[in-house]
Amino acid sequence: MEQFEMLKTWAETNVESVMFYILATISIPLAYGVILDRAIIRSGFILIGVFGSICGFFLLLQAQFLALAQLMIYAVGITLVIVIALMLTNPRMEKAQLSTASPANQLGAFMVAVGLFMTIYLSVRPENWTLSSEPLDTANVEVLGRALTTDYSLPFEFASVLLLAALIGAVMLAKADKPPKPGEDDYEYSVVDDGPTAGDARPEKEPVASGR
Amino acid sequence: MRNGAEILKLGTLTITWWCIIFGAVWIACYLVGVALPMMLSSYDSDMARMTAETLKALTPILSVLVFIPINAMFMVLIERRALAIFTVRLGPNRVGPDGYLQTAADAVKLLFKEDITPHGADAFMFTLAPIVFFAPSIFGAMPLLAAVTNYHELFQIVNLPTGIFFILAASSVPVVGIVMGGWASNNKYSLVGGLRSAAQAISYEIPLVLSLVTICLLAGSLDVVQIAKQQSGGILNWNILGGGALRGLDAALALKFSNSAASLQQLSAMSPEQVIKSSYVEPTMAALGLAAGQESMATIIAVIAVLVLIGATFIAYGLYMTGACAEINRIPFDLPEAESELVSGYNTEYSGIKFAIFFLAEFTNLFIVASIAAVMFLGGGDCPVPAWLGNALGGPQLASVINQVLNPLIQIKLVDPPTLFAAIWVILKVYSIVFFAVLIRGTLPRFRIDQLMDFGWKRLIPLSLIVFLLVVFAREFVNVHVGS
Repeated sequence: MEQFEMLKTWAETNVESVMFYILATISIPLAYGVILDRAIIRSGFILIGVFGSICGFFLLLQAQFLALAQLMIYAVGITLVIVIALMLTNPRMEKAQLSTASPANQLGAFMVAVGLFMTIYLSVRPENWTLSSEPLDTANVEVLGRALTTDYSLPFEFASVLLLAALIGAVMLAKADKPPKPGEDDYEYSVVDDGPTAGDARPEKEPVASGR
Repeated sequence: MRNGAEILKLGTLTITWWCIIFGAVWIACYLVGVALPMMLSSYDSDMARMTAETLKALTPILSVLVFIPINAMFMVLIERRALAIFTVRLGPNRVGPDGYLQTAADAVKLLFKEDITPHGADAFMFTLAPIVFFAPSIFGAMPLLAAVTNYHELFQIVNLPTGIFFILAASSVPVVGIVMGGWASNNKYSLVGGLRSAAQAISYEIPLVLSLVTICLLAGSLDVVQIAKQQSGGILNWNILGGGALRGLDAALALKFSNSAASLQQLSAMSPEQVIKSSYVEPTMAALGLAAGQESMATIIAVIAVLVLIGATFIAYGLYMTGACAEINRIPFDLPEAESELVSGYNTEYSGIKFAIFFLAEFTNLFIVASIAAVMFLGGGDCPVPAWLGNALGGPQLASVINQVLNPLIQIKLVDPPTLFAAIWVILKVYSIVFFAVLIRGTLPRFRIDQLMDFGWKRLIPLSLIVFLLVVFAREFVNVHVGS
């Protein structure tokens, strides 16, 4: 009986950190894989793994809703779109011929990386966190929903405006434009056929895929 | 009824296979979840106690692992036999007695086939793809187990407060497996199949999720067990008929036909008309702030709101079934593996065990979406006959006879009556939906890719948003499942 109790208390105190280290050992190599893999589509798939393990971290923090949203939106939805975009822009799937960057570029990239790291570290460092000992609300979906529609309704709406703008932009980019008739140059075509306003909305001449 | 004999054969085959599938699952669960822990409890040691607890916790996983392969075999067989009837053929009837073992033989054949990795394929991704496709269907269906077994104590462990969202998140993962397999195969057709699948899954996930969100709005919960429980008490309480909007009518009918309904104690002092008034007219008047003299107007609004709710939930069910069909790549949405255009789509290059896993997962996914529909819309393990009608038809007598017959089994805890009856109703509902999917497959031709996109984005998504908005407004005037 004593052994059993000991095992139970050990598990209760340590299972979280054990799980954390397991998830960390999965996610960090995967994150390296994303930047180091030469086949760019494969990096996209590895990114799904990274997001999946981050979803595990959220589960560990008992934020079920957030974890599942992470899985559904980031791991599957967004990464899949990235992968598809890569497939469509690089249809032959050849491994990209990467060449090493010039020393000046390397230095610049390093500076940017350090700057970014410092910014992120300074904003999320744990010194100023107030730790709450309150027990977690079991209905945390309800709390989240209430907060989003009352206190945080304005940021929520801004996010949806951003998405709407992205949607309209995507429609503009993807809209098929009529090919210019032979013998006429592009400017004349737009004036003659589409009226004076069409000149503003005319997309750039290069193909859409590479423009993105 | 010229093919009556064939239909009878199909029925016998179905019932035989159901006995095999659910007998195996039931016995496995009993052995691991009840019998072994009971035997272990006679030893008083830590080791025995821990083993017993572990065994109990592993029961849900074990039940799924036993269930999936046998069920897939049955579903392939029933699909082929049913399609044969629809197209006036005989179907597989040679292997074993009347073709019962056809798919078992197919499975053995697939296991022994050579496992080929095509030249130039990305071997790691090629192997990973079937796993990514299949794994979510194992763990994704877990919360449903708690709902379909009427919250049996062995399955309480798999229930989650965010149940339906967990299921949706898990069921969105397999498309990654398809894209991965399509890309890794180093084959044009596979790649096109994978891309189509991704486009299709992303577009049809929206109406699917919105229709389920509509139901969650009426239920006020994401917990599948709670959603199933709210719908108990007959077909009038099911989510497909207004999400609880007809509960007042149900109560009034119960009072009219039998005054001894035990669950309606608090209402028994009222007449049926009063019950109708208190559950429909009064909430509407409260919502609109009407004065006492305007009952007729409140009645009209209440009737309209109830009809809107019923229509909206019915459409939501149709939207869910359409979205689910597209999500799991069934005909008429089977563009990712369109034989006439893409050879076999994303699984062209797969053979042997990997192909078997793709195949297994496809049929398991069909079963899972059917069980989601059964739990979310069709009342889960609830008997469609309301108690007041069942009592009049001799339901209690039947139940006592069944209880007597099963008594020896109940004594050794092999059978738990609430779980058994819930499971039987769920099985009937789920396989009816599966059969309907097969019927659709035998009836409709495949969509073209542009028609598919048009149908998804221009018809289904606006319709699902309209349904959602209608429900948001209509539920203000009627008492629905929320808060009950």
